[in-house]
Amino acid sequence: MDKLLQFLSLPRRLWEEAQERLFFLPPFPEQIDSLALFSLLLVVGLLIGESLHARLRWPRLIGYVLAGSLFGPSLLGWITIEALGQARPIADAALGLLLLEAGRRLDLRWLASNPALLRGALADVVLSFLVIYLFASAVVGLAPAWAAATAAVTMASAPAVVLLTVEESKAQGQITERIILYTALGSAASFVLFAFVLGVVHAEFSSDWLNAVVHPLWVVVGGALIAWLVSRFALAVARRLPKRSLAQVFILVASALFAVGVARMLAVPVFLTLFLMGALLAFRDQEQTLKYTELPDGHWLLAIILFVVVGASLPWHEFTWLTGLYAIGLLGARALAKIAALYWSGGELPSAKRLLVGVGIQPLSATAVFMVYEVAGLYPEVGRSVLLLPLFAAAIMELAGPALCRAALVRAGETEAGAREKGGIG
Amino acid sequence: MSGALGNFTHSEALSLGVELELQLVSRRDYDLTRGATDLLGAMNYDGHFGEIKLEITESMIEVSTMPQARVAGIAGDLRGLRDTLVRHCTKNNIAVCGGGTHPYHRWAERRICPGDRFDEIYQRYGYLAKQFTVFGQHIHVGCTSADDAIWLTQALAEHVPAFIALSAASPFVDGVDTFFQSARLNAVSAFPLSGQCPPLGSWLEFVAHFEFLRDCGIVRSIKDLYWDVRPKPEYGTVEIRVCDTPLDVNTATALAALAQALCRHLLRTRPPLHAERWQHVARYNKFQACRYGMEAMLSDPVRRCQEPLRERVLALFDALAEDGRELECSPWLDALRGVAEHGNGDAAWLRTRATAQGNLNDVVREAAERLMQQGGNGNGEGA
Repeated sequence: MDKLLQFLSLPRRLWEEAQERLFFLPPFPEQIDSLALFSLLLVVGLLIGESLHARLRWPRLIGYVLAGSLFGPSLLGWITIEALGQARPIADAALGLLLLEAGRRLDLRWLASNPALLRGALADVVLSFLVIYLFASAVVGLAPAWAAATAAVTMASAPAVVLLTVEESKAQGQITERIILYTALGSAASFVLFAFVLGVVHAEFSSDWLNAVVHPLWVVVGGALIAWLVSRFALAVARRLPKRSLAQVFILVASALFAVGVARMLAVPVFLTLFLMGALLAFRDQEQTLKYTELPDGHWLLAIILFVVVGASLPWHEFTWLTGLYAIGLLGARALAKIAALYWSGGELPSAKRLLVGVGIQPLSATAVFMVYEVAGLYPEVGRSVLLLPLFAAAIMELAGPALCRAALVRAGETEAGAREKGGIG
Repeated sequence: MSGALGNFTHSEALSLGVELELQLVSRRDYDLTRGATDLLGAMNYDGHFGEIKLEITESMIEVSTMPQARVAGIAGDLRGLRDTLVRHCTKNNIAVCGGGTHPYHRWAERRICPGDRFDEIYQRYGYLAKQFTVFGQHIHVGCTSADDAIWLTQALAEHVPAFIALSAASPFVDGVDTFFQSARLNAVSAFPLSGQCPPLGSWLEFVAHFEFLRDCGIVRSIKDLYWDVRPKPEYGTVEIRVCDTPLDVNTATALAALAQALCRHLLRTRPPLHAERWQHVARYNKFQACRYGMEAMLSDPVRRCQEPLRERVLALFDALAEDGRELECSPWLDALRGVAEHGNGDAAWLRTRATAQGNLNDVVREAAERLMQQGGNGNGEGA
C-alpha cells in the first residue's frame, strides 16, 4: 500500500500544480469513487470466477470469494476496510434479494403434504445445533453463550450459495428441490436462534437486562414488521399490474431494496428481514399475484459483489493452525449431523439420494459471516476473537460449499452438465 | 410373419385400452419440471389399474389402463391411475396436468429420460426428441384377426379429423396462441415416419410393406412408425394416435367410447373403403381439423366436395347410437356430442381461462386442478 501511495505521489503533485491554473479541477481524489470500485470488483471477481469455471469446472462463486480474499484487507489490501464499508450497501442488497428468494421458496404446502420432509428438517436443525454446540463447548472450550452463538450462525445451509449454485448448474429435480427447502427451513430456524442468542450474549456480558430482552425483540419484531408492511405494499401495488410483467419485477425488486434500506436504518439484520419478507410474500399471495414473477438476471451482478465483499471480509490474517483445525473439526461434525439427519428422516426418496441432499446442504457462507459480525459487534473486545471459529468455518466452506453442493446435484443427475454427459442434453 | 413384427396377438373383439401422456409441472410456477424418473423410482404402486411408465423426456409420464371390455372399466382405471399419480406427485411437490402441449415451456430445457431406447431416439432425431414433449392419448381397440386390424387401420383413417377436433387441447405453444385448436400434431409431423398408413389391403400386404421399409433401413420395429392409426401386433389391436391428452379423464374415457363404438359400427357395416383417394386428402383434412377444430371444412375425395366437419361428426354420432347402446357407452357419446355441437372443447376452455387470467401460469394451475378434481362416476356424467 505504501508503494502504491508513493507511486501516486507524482500524479498528485502534478494535479495540484495544474489545479492552481485550471480552477475547474476538483481536489485530487483521495478515494476511489464507489461506482468505479464496484465496477472493478465486478470485473476482477467475474474474471477469476469465469476462468476457474471454464478451466476446472469449479462453481463461479469460489472465484468471486477468492478474488475478494486476495484483494481484501487480509492479503493484498487493494480493497481497503473503507472500501468494504462503501460496498456494504450493495452487498446487503444482493444478500437481501437472494434471501427474499429463499423465503419465497419456503413451501409450507409441500411440507404439510409430506411428513418425511418435516421430519428431515427438524432432525437437521436439532442435530446440527446440538452437535456444533457440543463441539464448540466441549472440544474448543467456548463459553456456553459463544458456543450457542457459534451453533446458531453455522447450523444452517447458505441460501445464497445454494440458490446461485442451483441456478448456475441449471439443476432440476427432487434433490434440488429438497436442498432448497431444507436450506430455507434451516435458515428460518437459524434466524430464530440467532435472535435468541443475541439476548444470551447480552445477558452474559452486560449487567443491564434491558438489552438482553429488548434486543432480540427489536430484531425479530422489527424485522417482521418491516417484512409485513413491505410485502403487503408490494402485493397491493403488484395486484394492479399484469402478472409476470416487467412492472411487477420492478415492484418486487424496488420493495426488496426498500426493505433493505429500512432494515439498515433501524439496525435490524437485512438477511432476517428479507427472508421474512419472502416468506410472507409466499404465504399471503393467495391470488398468485407475485408467485410467478422472477428476479431479473441482473442479480448475478449483485451476487458477484456480495461474494467478493464476503471474501474480503474474511480475517485470513488472523488465521492460526489451531483455529483452522477447530474449524475443520466443526465442519466435519456439522457435516455428519446433516447427513445423519437426512439419512434417518426416511421418506420415499431412496437413502442414497437422501445422502446427496445431506451433502447438498453443506454450504455455509454470506449469511453466517454477516451474522457473526452482527454478534461480534455487540461486544467487540471479546466477541471478535471468540467468533473467529465460525468465521474460519465459513471461510473454508466459502470455497468447499459451492463445490459440495454442485457435486451433489451433478451426482444426482439433475444438472444440465450431468445430463449432457449421459447424452441427455444437447 | 415378419420376425421384427412378431405374431399378431389376437384380442377380444372391441376390447379397449387407453394410454395417456401427462404433464409433470412444478407447483411453484407450473412450468414443466424434471420429475418422471424420481417419481417412478419412489413409487409404491401394485399395478392394479394399469401401468405408469416413463416417456421420452423427464417432464412426461405415461399411464396405460388394463385391457377392458367396456368403457366403464376404462373410466375406473383412468381415475385410479390419476389418483395414484396425483398422490405420489403431491409428495414430490409436482402437479399433474392434461392438455396436448404445455403452453409456455422451453423445449431446450427438457431432459431426456435415462434408458437406451430414449438415448437412441435422441441420438437419431436430435432436438426433435425434445420438441416431442407433447402429450397425446392413444386408444387401442382389440381385433380378433390381423386382417381386421389392417382393415380398421384403413377404415379409421377417414375419421382421424373427428378424433383430432374432439380432443383438441393444445392451442398454446411457446407462450403464444397458435390459432390452432391442436398444435401438438405439428410436433409429431416433423418425424419422417409420421402421417398415414399407406393403402394396404391385408396383414400380408402390411408385413410386406414393413419388410420393404426395414430392408431399406428406414424402420427397425413397429414403434418407428408414427402413423396416425396403426396396427399394434404385440397387443392385437388397432391404435388411434391422433388425440391430444384431454384436460380430464372423463373426456379421455368418452374418446375411448367413441373409438369402440366406431370400430363396432365399421366392422358391423363394412362400408366400402376408398383408401387411395382418402390418402390424397388426408394431410389437408388433418390440417383443417388441427387448425379449426369443429369449424373445419373437410374434403371428401369420393363425392369430390367439401363439407363441414361438425356436420360429419354429428351424423356420425347419429349413426353410432345403436352401437353405443349395445356397448353401454351412450352417456359418454352424448357428452362428446355436446362438445361437437357447442364447440366448447378443451382448446376453447384453455383460451377462455387465458383471457380471464391474463397469464398462462394460472391457466396451467387451473388445468392441473381440473385434472386432479374431476371425478366422474363412470356413466359419462361430467364428461
